[in-house]
Amino acid sequence: MALKSRAAFLVAAVILLTALGYLRDPPWLSNVTSGLSAWETDEAGVPYRWTRGHASFFVPADRRAVVLTMRSDKDAPTDWPITATLTIDDRPAEIITFRDEGWHDVRLRLPPRGNRDVRRIDVKLDRVRSRQRGIQLREPRVE
Amino acid sequence: MASSRGVVVWSAVLCLAGYVWVYATGLADVPIRSDGFSYYVYLPSWFLFHDTTLAAVARDCCGGEFPDYSAIIRWPGTRRWVNAHPIGVAVMQAPLFPFAHGLTKWTNLSADGFSLYYQHAAGLAGLGWIVAGLALLRRLLLRSFSDGVVAVTLIALLLGTNLYHYATFDSAYSHPYSFFLFAAFMVLTAAWHEKPASRTSLLLGLTAGLIVLVRHTNIVFCAVFLLYGAGTGAALAATFARLRAAPGELMRIVGVAVLVIAPQLLIYHQATGNPVISSYGGLGFNWASPQIAGVLFGVEKGLFFWSPVLLVAAAGLAVLARSAKPAAAFVVPGALFLAVNTYLIASWWDWQFGGSYGHRGFVDALPVFALGLAAAFERASYTARLRALAAVVATLLVSLSVFQMIQYWYGIIPFQGTTWQLYRELFLQWR
Repeated sequence: MALKSRAAFLVAAVILLTALGYLRDPPWLSNVTSGLSAWETDEAGVPYRWTRGHASFFVPADRRAVVLTMRSDKDAPTDWPITATLTIDDRPAEIITFRDEGWHDVRLRLPPRGNRDVRRIDVKLDRVRSRQRGIQLREPRVE
Repeated sequence: MASSRGVVVWSAVLCLAGYVWVYATGLADVPIRSDGFSYYVYLPSWFLFHDTTLAAVARDCCGGEFPDYSAIIRWPGTRRWVNAHPIGVAVMQAPLFPFAHGLTKWTNLSADGFSLYYQHAAGLAGLGWIVAGLALLRRLLLRSFSDGVVAVTLIALLLGTNLYHYATFDSAYSHPYSFFLFAAFMVLTAAWHEKPASRTSLLLGLTAGLIVLVRHTNIVFCAVFLLYGAGTGAALAATFARLRAAPGELMRIVGVAVLVIAPQLLIYHQATGNPVISSYGGLGFNWASPQIAGVLFGVEKGLFFWSPVLLVAAAGLAVLARSAKPAAAFVVPGALFLAVNTYLIASWWDWQFGGSYGHRGFVDALPVFALGLAAAFERASYTARLRALAAVVATLLVSLSVFQMIQYWYGIIPFQGTTWQLYRELFLQWR
């Protein structure tokens, strides 16, 4: 009995460690996002997504930089500007304030590749518009 | 015939399969949505931002203002956040939160409380509580019914009502939690009245407190403990005699329940200056015009319209009332609760309870209906002809319920506002 339960414990430990090893840097991670709406297209047919107050997504870690193209919409001309704080793996990377409604490119230099395949970009806003609309974000371009 | 234990195990497998299906195919958005958001939002607020006012999580998740759908409002006067939905669901989701947070850090997901693992920890918590509720219900039913009857009852309850929907598609709502707590409260009530032990009293207090923490109006269900055995004058007198003979145990139950509820009162006080408030603000009950017919039989959300197997359960409760089984002690208090609960739901300003499959207000009370279902199935097992008839009727009703639930998942049946004409057009349609 003791041998059986020891074997069961060993099997469980191996399964757990294997699962943890897999979840450290899983291949599907690059497709995971949070705080982003479904894709829409603007008048020019360019796809974009709305962020909510806090959005995150992943980019390949073996690239030099990522370019984010973003714009803020206003419910009324007197609306306060939205300020976005961008981080890479929780490290501050850029702060940008959207005073107008035009598209803006922000180029973020990615640190040298570490031991992960992807890096996480977070976009955190100081305010959102009605219906939880944050900013519009096009497909990130990696260089 | 499957054993009731096997049914509980297979229910867990079936719920998990349904859960994976709705999220892997994109039928449902993330689990923490709509009401599920406001029930859950306490966890990131407490554990990630160490804040009981919800202000920090509002800044992080939502640009400083909670979404309109969230039912979290700024209290007039203090301007602090008041959540219409109390903390009970978050408390019961809390055991999975540290695992989700640890895995989130490990995989380098955003540790904001709303990324992938947090979402499914909240979703799976609801599923887990429903399976646990079924396991407790099995224990309660086995006191009065055969294993086969209990097995069939659990299957009919899970698939013939909207219980399966709330274990999978909408598992972050409060109903899975209340379903478990009601089942637990009934098991403990029966045990306490058999032998008023201190441990049972502590657990009863804990369960009663959580029932109130999950949904304040469900405090009414606690009367089942006081009225247990009501139905005949002698039985009720015996119940009161038992209660009078154990004042210490009663104090223990009340004391523990008050301790469990206290954090909610402190949160209300912090936000408004008053520990007892109506967290829904100006929204409330229309006591003079309850929509009883709509709530029970209406095509929009009617309980019996969308879960017709519960008509069998209602008839079974009448059968059970005349029997000498231990479960009969729940019939009168259970029926009284159902009557009061129906009046409360029917009087609520939004008596349909927004978008839902069937009427979600009654999911909490399904353990009461389970007693009636079991009694009906047992009565039907007396003769071969009745047994065959019951099998056919139950199979048809359960199949209809499952089909309509899948129609709802695929957006064929709308979230709300179904009319009789629309229902007829969509009946058994797949488009």
